[in-house]
Amino acid sequence: MPRFDTLARAWMVWDVPAPAPGGAVLDQTQELDRFLAEIERRAFRMAQAALRDPDDALDVVQDAMLKLARNYAARPSAEWRPLFYRILENGIRDLQRRRTVRKKFMVWLPGSNEDPDNQAQDPLDNVPDAGPDAPELMMRSQAMEQLEVSLRGLPARQRQAFMLRNFEGMDVAETAAAMGCSEGSVKTHYSRAVHTLREQLGEVW
Amino acid sequence: MKEYTQDTGQSPFEVHSRELFHESVDAVDMRMRSRLTQARHAALDAAAAAKRRPWLLRMGTWTPAAGVTAAALLGAVLWFGLPSGNHGVTAADSQPSLEDLDIVASSDEGAGDAFEMLQNDLDFYDFSDKAANSGPAA
Repeated sequence: MPRFDTLARAWMVWDVPAPAPGGAVLDQTQELDRFLAEIERRAFRMAQAALRDPDDALDVVQDAMLKLARNYAARPSAEWRPLFYRILENGIRDLQRRRTVRKKFMVWLPGSNEDPDNQAQDPLDNVPDAGPDAPELMMRSQAMEQLEVSLRGLPARQRQAFMLRNFEGMDVAETAAAMGCSEGSVKTHYSRAVHTLREQLGEVW
Repeated sequence: MKEYTQDTGQSPFEVHSRELFHESVDAVDMRMRSRLTQARHAALDAAAAAKRRPWLLRMGTWTPAAGVTAAALLGAVLWFGLPSGNHGVTAADSQPSLEDLDIVASSDEGAGDAFEMLQNDLDFYDFSDKAANSGPAA
């Protein structure tokens, strides 16, 4: 029976898994790092498309990263992507709910008619610096802005299905795992989203 | 710009919207990229720290369950009350008996044979007790 200097050391020895051959734990951390690095900007843009505010989007993405790393790092890496997007979507919806409650509450306060969420955003804010093909870039940037506005008008499930299938390139099964619904529901949500968006943007694009 | 594989059978609308999205991803500014990198490192550090902690110190996750249990127990006690019934002998209850025993056992009052009297004249004391409780003698 091994003897331990302190009880805490004994707990740590019992709790820490046996060292894996070839530094598997380190590999797992590196793999998680690679996964998050690969996904973080797309996740941020998706969150921003849903929430509009970049700081809110960053908060939600950071929270999703933390939860994935803390709770699901030991899961097979193939499960990370649907898990991450499920956490991200939960964070987005929580924030939207809080905004809704805040709006209802703010209505009753004097001098609170100016809601920052309703302030029109200048599309030129997102236009990159002028370059050789600045007009083309500006047009595409404005087209993306219009797409984001239309996405925010969709029901949450349709927006999620469209982003995961189209933006993230996930297949139906993976999207269903991320959304926590059946594959048939994913197809329905996606089809409706495409139909609605095409109706709204088809002529503009 | 990166090349993205396109699924077959996608409409031009879907292809176009995907291209626009990935262009916007590439256009995320350096400041935001830096903040995303910091967030990623913070997440990895938190995961590593959580892994190093002994299991007993991870019981923060148990705290809500313990709180709910304690509240439920307190609620049950307040709702149903403490168990009622005959309680045991208390110090206050036992005090008169001890005093009586002292009197009986005392040998200072010239009654050193009090125990003997008690044993011999039980009938007398029984009669005396009944007479005392029935009221003043006529």
